[in-house]
Amino acid sequence: MQRPESRPIESAIAIAICALVLLILSNAYPLVVMHVNGASRETTLVGAALGMYVQNYTTLAALVLLTTVIAPFVQIIALLYLLIPLWRGRRAPGQSTVFRLLMWVRRWSFMEVFMLGSLVALVRLSNYTHVVPGVSLWSCALLMMSLSALSTVSSPEQFWVWAERCPR
Amino acid sequence: MSIPATGRSLGLVVCLECRSTVRAVRHLARPRCPRCYARLHERKPHSLAITTVLIVSAAVLYVPANLLPVMTTREIFEDEQDTIMSGVLELLHSGSWPIALLVFIASIVVPLLKIIALAVLLYSAWRRESRLRMQRTELYRLVEFIGRWSMLDIYAVSILATLVQVQSFANILIGWGAWSFGAVVVLTLIAARTFDERLLWDEPVRA
Repeated sequence: MQRPESRPIESAIAIAICALVLLILSNAYPLVVMHVNGASRETTLVGAALGMYVQNYTTLAALVLLTTVIAPFVQIIALLYLLIPLWRGRRAPGQSTVFRLLMWVRRWSFMEVFMLGSLVALVRLSNYTHVVPGVSLWSCALLMMSLSALSTVSSPEQFWVWAERCPR
Repeated sequence: MSIPATGRSLGLVVCLECRSTVRAVRHLARPRCPRCYARLHERKPHSLAITTVLIVSAAVLYVPANLLPVMTTREIFEDEQDTIMSGVLELLHSGSWPIALLVFIASIVVPLLKIIALAVLLYSAWRRESRLRMQRTELYRLVEFIGRWSMLDIYAVSILATLVQVQSFANILIGWGAWSFGAVVVLTLIAARTFDERLLWDEPVRA
């Protein structure tokens, strides 16, 4: 059954902006740093996908890139594109198209799985060498929480409650 | 038992994207949701056939996904090949059993469970089984929810392979096991989408 939901649109926008900042941090800083014989080596979020591309697994690289970088970015930006005009009392151009894009992209955003996957990698490596979790791993953990909060706050039902309140 | 009223019997369709309920679209050639403009289907077209094809391919690829190495660790003197299962065992031996359990569930149990569950759902929807509808709907929701967790090992391997590359002490190469595994995950994810859960509520055709 549908239950009429009415949360303030401001809180959804706030969480979305918070998630966007965390996502930028997660992409800008190294995820894991490894120390071997005095040298150190690190990887970033995009680096994980590139590593597969370098080894000629293009499809896998595309899958990793889509689910950990592109989908979360598009998800947050599309949501902000829809919500900010609504908050100011009008509808974004192409609202229904962007909404359907958002629904599609949400199904392919696997940040929380990636987070645990990098923990698994960290544990496996720590048996052989000295590894340190990077800044990105921490912001990924926070991002994971804010993304799940975001999808609760901006459920499709809730979104259309906000959208239909707008005259234009 | 009385026959439950379905949206179809009342002439209503729910939009799968925005969840709005729309009245009487049967007379339209290509009905669209008045609210979000998504295509409306009383039942997704060819749902059973498409889902069956996807599930069968996923089940076939599940075999190489578990037998072929997901990665090969190349050290100076020896190559060590890791399948998903041997990765789990290695984690277990190094004493991190919670992580081992996590990988075991996410990469071995979940994909298998998904394939079996979707096969059961397909069979019952095809037979138009009328018992245990609630439970089967719950099962479908569970399948939809847990599917993404199988990507866990792919991510772990991608990070390992990126970090341990062109190093003096070792080199990690991705194997075809990882590719087939990724394919299994994607195929089952799409299969869960192409399956129309409303088919579980259709009444059997009376002879």
